[in-house]
Amino acid sequence: MASKFSLKLGKVKARKKSAVTAEDDERSTIAAATKCVTEWTAWGLQKGKVITHYGFIPLIIIIGMKSEPRPSLAQLLSPV
Amino acid sequence: MSNFNAPPPATAPMPPATEPQKVYFLNLPCPIPYEEIHREALMSLKPEVFEGLRFDFAKGLNQKFSLSHSVIMGPTEIPSQSSDIVKIPTANYEFGANFLDPKLMLIGRVLTDGRLSARIKCDLTENLTVKGNAQLTSEPHMSHGLINFDYKGKDYRTQVQLGNGALVGASYIQSVTPHLSLGGEVFWAGQHRKSGIGYAARYNTDKMVATGQVASTGMVALSYVQKVSEKVSLASDFMYNYMSRDVTASVGYDYILRQCRLRGKIDSNGVVASLLEERLTMGLTLLLSAEIDHWKKDYKFGFGLTLGE
Repeated sequence: MASKFSLKLGKVKARKKSAVTAEDDERSTIAAATKCVTEWTAWGLQKGKVITHYGFIPLIIIIGMKSEPRPSLAQLLSPV
Repeated sequence: MSNFNAPPPATAPMPPATEPQKVYFLNLPCPIPYEEIHREALMSLKPEVFEGLRFDFAKGLNQKFSLSHSVIMGPTEIPSQSSDIVKIPTANYEFGANFLDPKLMLIGRVLTDGRLSARIKCDLTENLTVKGNAQLTSEPHMSHGLINFDYKGKDYRTQVQLGNGALVGASYIQSVTPHLSLGGEVFWAGQHRKSGIGYAARYNTDKMVATGQVASTGMVALSYVQKVSEKVSLASDFMYNYMSRDVTASVGYDYILRQCRLRGKIDSNGVVASLLEERLTMGLTLLLSAEIDHWKKDYKFGFGLTLGE
């Protein structure tokens, strides 16, 4: 009887533990997901910053050279 | 009996008594954007004084597209621990490209040490505008970026601002009468763990502008600008920080004459500053700038030349 009781207790404890670990698992996956998202956004922002740093002025020049009336390359490079 | 001549009637007819104009509260003008609320005062009281030589050449390739070359040589202040002012001489060449379209504006400037300053303004629809501003350097953690979304309503404006370092801000300004507009702003800076709320009011007529601004960071700023004539405006400003008990008052003038523009101010910190921009001929402008800080004994004089429109 006592053994049955203790077995039952053991089972209940095991079930509780498994429920608790399931919650823990869920929390840790959410934490892992947010960590992943923040890491990737940080990586993206870093790459975006480098691209903007090198590419912003060439972008303005390309957009300007395509606008009407089209300036020529000589006009772009000459100092006058 | 000769009649006494009645005094001749007034030759000019009496002007009709003007009735006070009826205010249509549903038809108020759109207010000034919240960050420009002190605009007239800042034009007189914060002229862009510089130190050293400045040479700008602006070359237009197109109606919308232009390049600019600038050479700037002069001492630059570096922050020092002691109260002495430490300046080191620097010389920089700055290349810039501008694209100005009614709907899209792109301005980029890059210095010889690799610092880029970029500004973008794009009108997505008639009322919604996106503005971005960034200062990028190669050094880590020294770059800043800010992006604003502005919405302009019939008699109000709202703005949402996002910046790096987890900065979020929002502001709203509304015209309350044809002359008075009131606004408020709130911001939260995640990195410095600071947040604040502020209110501003602006009363303007054709001849004067009075503004007041209070913020929870402890700043109280009041300013008054009087447009004395077409060519002359006088401005005064009072700034008080109730946390750090710092008070500054300044008085300034702005003369816009045919060939030149002269701005100057005098301050309660013992600073006298002045900036002259004179158009010598078409396309050639001379700049003379001076700022004298009597208490810190810091004297800054600059001269410059600008070629191009």
